[in-house]
Amino acid sequence: MSSSKENNRRNFIKGIGLGSLFLGSVQYGLNANTNKENKKPHYAMIYDQNKCVGCSDCEIACQEINLVPKNQHRLYVEDQTKPDDLQHKKYMRVSCQQCIDSPCTEVCPTGACHKDSITDIVTMDIDKCIGCKYCIVACPYDVRFINERTNAAENCNFCLNTNFAKGKDPACVESCKYDALVFGDLNDETAYINKILDVKDAVRLKPGFGTKPSLRYIPKLKTGVYDE
Amino acid sequence: MNELITYSSGFTEEIGWEWPISVYLLLAGISGGAIIVALLIRFYKNQIENTAVYKSASLVAFVTILLGMVCLVGDLTRPLNFWQILINYNFNSVMSIGVAALMIYIPLSFVAVVFAFADFVKERFSFLTKIVDLLLKFRVVLEGVLFLFAVVICAYTGFLISVLVRFPLLNTSILPALFVISGLSAGTAALCIMAKRVFNENVHSSDMKILHKIEWPIMAIEILFLAMLYISLATGNEAGKIALAAFHEGSWSTVFWVGIVCIGFLLPIILNFSQKEQENSNSIFYISAMCSIVGVLCLRLFIIYAGQTFSV
Ligand code: SF4
Ligand code: SF4
Ligand code: SF4
Repeated sequence: MSSSKENNRRNFIKGIGLGSLFLGSVQYGLNANTNKENKKPHYAMIYDQNKCVGCSDCEIACQEINLVPKNQHRLYVEDQTKPDDLQHKKYMRVSCQQCIDSPCTEVCPTGACHKDSITDIVTMDIDKCIGCKYCIVACPYDVRFINERTNAAENCNFCLNTNFAKGKDPACVESCKYDALVFGDLNDETAYINKILDVKDAVRLKPGFGTKPSLRYIPKLKTGVYDE
Repeated sequence: MNELITYSSGFTEEIGWEWPISVYLLLAGISGGAIIVALLIRFYKNQIENTAVYKSASLVAFVTILLGMVCLVGDLTRPLNFWQILINYNFNSVMSIGVAALMIYIPLSFVAVVFAFADFVKERFSFLTKIVDLLLKFRVVLEGVLFLFAVVICAYTGFLISVLVRFPLLNTSILPALFVISGLSAGTAALCIMAKRVFNENVHSSDMKILHKIEWPIMAIEILFLAMLYISLATGNEAGKIALAAFHEGSWSTVFWVGIVCIGFLLPIILNFSQKEQENSNSIFYISAMCSIVGVLCLRLFIIYAGQTFSV
């Protein structure tokens, strides 16, 4: 099913997206000239459930750096501790999964929600957003929201126009005292994130949606992943 | 779902798309449906004159689609930015395709109004005579294109929400078909009311008889599609079972059984049978048509709200 959809889209792009094809090839040409060996980056993040203690430092850092209104979040740490087993704490990061096949960018009528042309990170052009909320209902992970300050839709964009632009790690990663978050380029073989993925089991959320998320989760082992 | 690891709390605490979208979906359905039916009659009977049905259809179509636009723009969180959707197109997005179709459909539905009242326009605004005459030359072509886009408008509203994978009730291929057929149903009803009320069309005129006759197969197909939707969810996977609860649980199930089934289907049928005894009662005619429209409104509300409530 998903592959036929993909085919359709491919045909569609072939048929109609000649303009973007042209632009794409220009860009490819430019890239090829500047750095011949490097592939396009694929930025990703790991959230390690074994290390997260639920301090919510990441939530606060994200709000501050990205000017997210007080009662809203780009990232939220869900407490999954079972009420009858308070000894075993368990937390879960809720945020944009940075899908490779992202439904949000696909449905956005204005292209406000788009993939950054250089980094491929799913991000927003706030000026173009009309607030139709199509991206919000289309996101299978329900992690988009209308920012009360700008009235535009928003998602975690790996701090693309804040920390990333300054060459720093994302604010949430920077602020985590317990190293539960790792950020890096999957296409860079020397990157720390790849070293971790080489030795740890990491999963994608809801793979059934076929969106190929770039976020990886290392599931908690302490309470037994295999119970129930 | 049996996943190793997942979370339960999303960011849309309640509902992403609310009732203005349902109302828009109804209005777009009425608009397209009325035009489709009226043009079918016109083509079928090779009509040259402007019948009451044609006049009603053009007015209904134009006014409802404009009202629909008001709902649509009113629901945006940045309505003043609306023009962005008119200059930026993303043809992967059903919404963009819909906007492009509306840009053709809305002017054409206005042209239909001009056709319907050509004499009046020429009389009152004589400086427009040349333009009207020019348009009249291409009448058949323009009406053909209008017909095509009326179908597109009805269908795209279904595709618009059937791509939403998180909501199994919406993410089905029956939905666009259901939207076309229920649009026809509401469009026919609105057309009947307008023709009788404003243009004093006799309920027993030959056009009205056709309208009355096609009402029943349309309703039958509508019921069939709803049954197919129900059965496909009931026999489907785990996600389908989640969505099936929409029909049995919560306040939206009441909307389904009372609004769609009782008011939308049963009441018009009962009224139709009682009509035989007390010949052509006016109020029964209007009530029965209103029931169809209310039923289709309930269908849109049910789809939007129950669809988003029972997500995976
Ligand atoms: S998680 Fe949602 S918002 Fe993020 S890329 Fe995927 S579809 Fe888009
Ligand atoms: S709310 Fe904004 S970003 Fe989302 S689909 Fe609509 S225009 Fe695009
Ligand atoms: S990467 Fe940046 S935007 Fe995303 S959750 Fe972390 S701090 Fe927020």
